[in-house]
Amino acid sequence: MSTALPELDEQIDLAAAASGPWQTVVWNDPVNLMSYVVRVFREYFGYSEDRATQLMLQVHHDGHAIVAEGAREQMEMHAQAMHDYGLWATVREGGRS
Amino acid sequence: MIMLTLTRIEAGHLADLVAQFTELVNGTPTDPDPALERLTPDAYPEDPDASREFRSLTRGDLLHRRAHDAAIVKRALEGIEPLDGTDDDFSPADIAIPDDQIDAWLRTLTAVRLVIASRLGIASEDDHDPSDPRFGVYDWLGFRLDGLVQAADSLRAD
Repeated sequence: MSTALPELDEQIDLAAAASGPWQTVVWNDPVNLMSYVVRVFREYFGYSEDRATQLMLQVHHDGHAIVAEGAREQMEMHAQAMHDYGLWATVREGGRS
Repeated sequence: MIMLTLTRIEAGHLADLVAQFTELVNGTPTDPDPALERLTPDAYPEDPDASREFRSLTRGDLLHRRAHDAAIVKRALEGIEPLDGTDDDFSPADIAIPDDQIDAWLRTLTAVRLVIASRLGIASEDDHDPSDPRFGVYDWLGFRLDGLVQAADSLRAD
């Protein structure tokens, strides 16, 4: 079982690269419809109706929600996709909520 | 496919709005336009350099895709008989939207509303002036967009 430790190390590295320290944040705006925002989260991220609704409500009540976390390039891609849908999204380094 | 039913008057108004929108996103404004800024928001509000770079890489593509989406809506509306000033203008017209064009419709109605909201200075959900007819247009678009979202959601298998 001498290979167990190196493999474990590798898995940890991969996980770190995949989750990364960056965030895509969607901000509240007075224009976009709640039903539309839920649809965008379901369609684009593939989130369940419950998860998408929860995120939409968080945006609405808290002013923003973290919709994805991971590598910076990926978060920029998500932000651009949100902009395509007319949502107000930003990218930032993680560690905040 | 989903079906959108509008009166011919509504379809005419929507075609006008989409034409104006297309002009806006295809234009090259000399001064910063808040409506265009809203369609291509700051990705890094706390980092001007990163924001500038992100915008320079994405803005042209974003606006190009808005024009592309709007062209799909425009083509569909061109299939409706033009207004002729008779009672027929109030008769309903059905627009069949294929599945692969639904997002273009949703994004276009959303983007047009964002532009109108920017022009009206809507900064909070309480900003509403019933005496200003432009709010009527804004509300009408919201009503139609919500109907389209519901119709699109009903297509989902889950």
